[in-house]
Amino acid sequence: MINRHKNLREKKGNFWEERLGLRAIINFLRQKKVPLSEHTIWLYTGSLILLFLAVQVITGIVLALYYKPTVAEAHASVRRIMTEIPLGWIIRSVHFWSATGMIATVFVHMISIWLLKSYRRPRELTWMTGVFLLIITLGFGFSGYLLPWDSLSLAATKVGTDIPRVIPLIGGWISKFLRGGEDVGADTLTRFYLFHICLLPLMIFLLIGFHIFLIQKLGISHPLKYEMRGIKVPEIPFWPDFVLREARVWLIALGVLITVAIFFPRSLGPQADLMAPTPAGIKPEWYFLFLFQTLKLFPSQIIFISGETLAILIILLFLGLFFFLPLIDNQPARKKGKIITAISVIIIIYAIAMTIWSLFE
Amino acid sequence: MKFKYSCLSRRRFLSWLGGGWLATFVCSLIYPLFKAITPPYREPDEVVLLIKEVIELQPNSVKYFSWGIKPGILKRNDDGQLIAFVGVCTHLDCNVQYLPEKRKFFCACHEGWYDENGLNIAGPPPKPLRRLFVYEESDHLIIRREEKA
Ligand code: FES
Repeated sequence: MINRHKNLREKKGNFWEERLGLRAIINFLRQKKVPLSEHTIWLYTGSLILLFLAVQVITGIVLALYYKPTVAEAHASVRRIMTEIPLGWIIRSVHFWSATGMIATVFVHMISIWLLKSYRRPRELTWMTGVFLLIITLGFGFSGYLLPWDSLSLAATKVGTDIPRVIPLIGGWISKFLRGGEDVGADTLTRFYLFHICLLPLMIFLLIGFHIFLIQKLGISHPLKYEMRGIKVPEIPFWPDFVLREARVWLIALGVLITVAIFFPRSLGPQADLMAPTPAGIKPEWYFLFLFQTLKLFPSQIIFISGETLAILIILLFLGLFFFLPLIDNQPARKKGKIITAISVIIIIYAIAMTIWSLFE
Repeated sequence: MKFKYSCLSRRRFLSWLGGGWLATFVCSLIYPLFKAITPPYREPDEVVLLIKEVIELQPNSVKYFSWGIKPGILKRNDDGQLIAFVGVCTHLDCNVQYLPEKRKFFCACHEGWYDENGLNIAGPPPKPLRRLFVYEESDHLIIRREEKA
């Protein structure tokens, strides 16, 4: 009897093993090594982003059960989520704070790679897909911000979708594409919802897949310090050692996330009105503040073009340089690259300073 | 017929022909999708209000009306004349408001100011507010996009 039972279990085990071959994957993960040094902490940011993304997908699906993407119903449906749906307010608040956490972690992830110069050969493509992922993440934030259709989000969207107009040649079309017409209106809301729950998710999953494939293919970069001295970095197996360490970070992050979501719930402003004057004090979300403040710094007219145009062209130029950073700084991995570090630090300090300035203005 | 010399081999010619056909075909599939991405631009040619709606409008005060999906602003000047604007900032498209005490139009987005005639006087706006043209016809007030010829 017992024997038969055992046999059955074995057979069952074989059933899955035969079809999925999971043991090979586990063995592979056991053999995959992760460098352990004082820089290992930055490796956690990557999986933390994935954790936040998973939270976004799950809470987003629950929100989408009730949300209605039309001008007439959007605001009321979010109000219903907040007041009627059992625990709906927590779900929405977690969605908001997880978005915040995801964007913040994306910034930290990127800055760590930037400063440690891990984008260098052969990881140029990993960096470039990363820049795309950054833009997509910000796109999620920007499109999600409009969905509750309150007065601040309407004004921010009007300004945000008008800005591309100054880009030569294609700017007008980009603005029309984003808005679904000349002006922000009902079509804009529908379209932002589509971006938020369909287009951007498709893009982010494809790109993350490619990003992770590249990381897997090229291996994790070793800290410069060790490379330069030719010391071997201590390593641990990915499974289970590293995954357990990551799990620790996830647990803490989830705890913080839910605590923050409960004690600082996301509120809902008054319903947007296309005809009403813009309320005072509109500001974009924190992750766009440094750009917002930069725009303000420019005078309205510089010789022959408007300050805005100049500012936006400069910002685009920086984005381009940023994207092509691995090709610009193409020294071998063991070179230090002091100039790049200096410039990076200046840009980061500038962005932080601008954000703080804008917050306290 | 066979040419003696040709700059294209038969293989290359056929590849170009096939490739060209494929490219044209794909373009013809994409084109309608691309066209459908943006809707046509619709702005009203005119908006009609009733005179009795505006008869009580005091000098130096305004009435908002719908100009398509944008706000329009109808203002009575001190001499009793009615003037109208599209109530949208020429900077980055925010809706403006009229502040009667200051006799100015104000845009809260980036603190843009226009004087009582819609001229941009301070802040980022690059152009004056867009003017509309007001006509009275029996008991209707007609606000038009273009001046009547
Ligand atoms: S949109 Fe009016 S001042 Fe910027």
